Amino acid sequence: MNNSLKSSVPTDREVILGILNNSEDTLNKLYKAYYAMVLQFILNNNGDEDDAKDVYQEGIIILYNKIKAGNFELSSKLKTYIYSVCRRIWLKKLSLNSKKAGNITDYEDVFAVEEDVEHHEEKDAAFVKMQSALDHLGEPCKTIIQDFYIHNLSMQDICEKFGYTNTDNAKTQKYKCLQRLKKIFFQP
Amino acid sequence: MRNDLELDAIIEDYLLGKLNAQETEAFEQLRRNDATVDHKVVSHKFFLESMGTFAEQLRLKEQLNHIHSEIDVEGLASTLRPHPSRVVQLWRKHKSAIAVAASFVVLSLVSIYSIQHNTQQAERYRQLSNQVNNAIKTQNSLIRNIKHNNTTSGKPNAQNSFGGTGFAISTNGYILTNLHIINGADSLYVQNSRGESFKVKSVYTDPQNDIAILKINDKHFSNLSSIPYTIKRNTSNIGEIVYTLGYPKDDAVLGEGYVSSKNGFIGDTTQYQVAISVNPGNSGGPVLDNNGNLVGIISGKPDQTEGAAFAIKSKYILEAMRAIPQDSLGVNKLSANKRSLLSGLKRTKQIEKIQDYVFMIKAY
Repeated sequence: MNNSLKSSVPTDREVILGILNNSEDTLNKLYKAYYAMVLQFILNNNGDEDDAKDVYQEGIIILYNKIKAGNFELSSKLKTYIYSVCRRIWLKKLSLNSKKAGNITDYEDVFAVEEDVEHHEEKDAAFVKMQSALDHLGEPCKTIIQDFYIHNLSMQDICEKFGYTNTDNAKTQKYKCLQRLKKIFFQP
Repeated sequence: MRNDLELDAIIEDYLLGKLNAQETEAFEQLRRNDATVDHKVVSHKFFLESMGTFAEQLRLKEQLNHIHSEIDVEGLASTLRPHPSRVVQLWRKHKSAIAVAASFVVLSLVSIYSIQHNTQQAERYRQLSNQVNNAIKTQNSLIRNIKHNNTTSGKPNAQNSFGGTGFAISTNGYILTNLHIINGADSLYVQNSRGESFKVKSVYTDPQNDIAILKINDKHFSNLSSIPYTIKRNTSNIGEIVYTLGYPKDDAVLGEGYVSSKNGFIGDTTQYQVAISVNPGNSGGPVLDNNGNLVGIISGKPDQTEGAAFAIKSKYILEAMRAIPQDSLGVNKLSANKRSLLSGLKRTKQIEKIQDYVFMIKAY
């Protein structure tokens, strides 16, 4: 398993181009290429597999967003970047849970990524806010909103799915839900 | 309420660009006139953007989860988990460091081996009046022998200029050089910086210190003016800047460096090691310090090391000078007591002053 993972490590250029072109295959390869590295780091520093998954995915998302934003300059190897980001995230989590983070066992070179991580945290806060707003919305509003805005279903589809007599009714329902959602979302 | 919903619908259609030109026009009019509507547009726009990024991140997360499910986490985790044994843990942690250390050990073993190998071959001392010189000389004498046998009269064949460098130790034509330059030669000439040649004969040799003193024996030679340099009595310290003027070719060549070791070839205490790159022909050249004190005489260089040379210490010059009749050297001889005429001068001026006192030695 380990070997097959390592053998398919894509080059840094491939990754950047792939992500810019929305290539799922590249994301797949990228994810599998460095997972073991982060897993090892987390496991050896007071974490478990789930922590590793969370941290690693967050790291990948940071990299992904950074590349997508177009301001990614490859000043080091991607591997080092991912490792540094994940390390930073994990150290933050450890200190948040007031777990002991005194003696970190490192496996790779590290370089400063504080800015990227903090930038991500802001973004993540907005994400969490939207998520909780949706959760507070309750059914069927939540599903209607998700179907329309996230899964991009048409009003026609939603109308059929929820058994509304016509699309106007569905629309009215959607806008009612939207109003409530916005109210929750914009609540300070 | 009903109105509100309709307004929301229009705002959304407006933001998504679903309105036709006329409707857009009408709506923008409304927006300009009604600040509440405008505010709603702005906030809805923000909301839609938030929703957009939310949707994007959500999709990405789903994708990552999907990829994650393909990985055999258990299998990986079991191999990467902190190993109970400290040794394995250390190995994993310092894998690269250990690799570096190992390669360093291998490298140093190899170099130690090669150094030993080298010392077995023995670094040889190269006298700078090159080997070819000797070959020519023996050849010359052979030719002469043959000529003697044939009883043909003749001057020495083929005027090849080989030899080294020497420098004046008195104004009346005494010149000091290395013994190995003139050893075995049949006739000796010196040539000054102006290209004038004078016949010389050897008056004193010191095989132990490789020093020879020659005397110009030529009616064309007129006495030099007073010797600009003096002999340094004390031994020089490591790091002292020194230079030498010599004749590795037909013109004088300056070599500059520093005293790099207080002892010479394999700890030879009669010599210094100096960091001046010298060539065959530099032998016998004076080594002077910045103040124009004679520090030594270039005599050879290590075979395997570039940029280093050996110089006989100056006190042996004094010894050699004491060995010849003092009267013969005249009044204006090289001494340790006088003040050097060179001190305080720039290097170019110093060279200008000493070049008349440094000779090319030609041995046939």
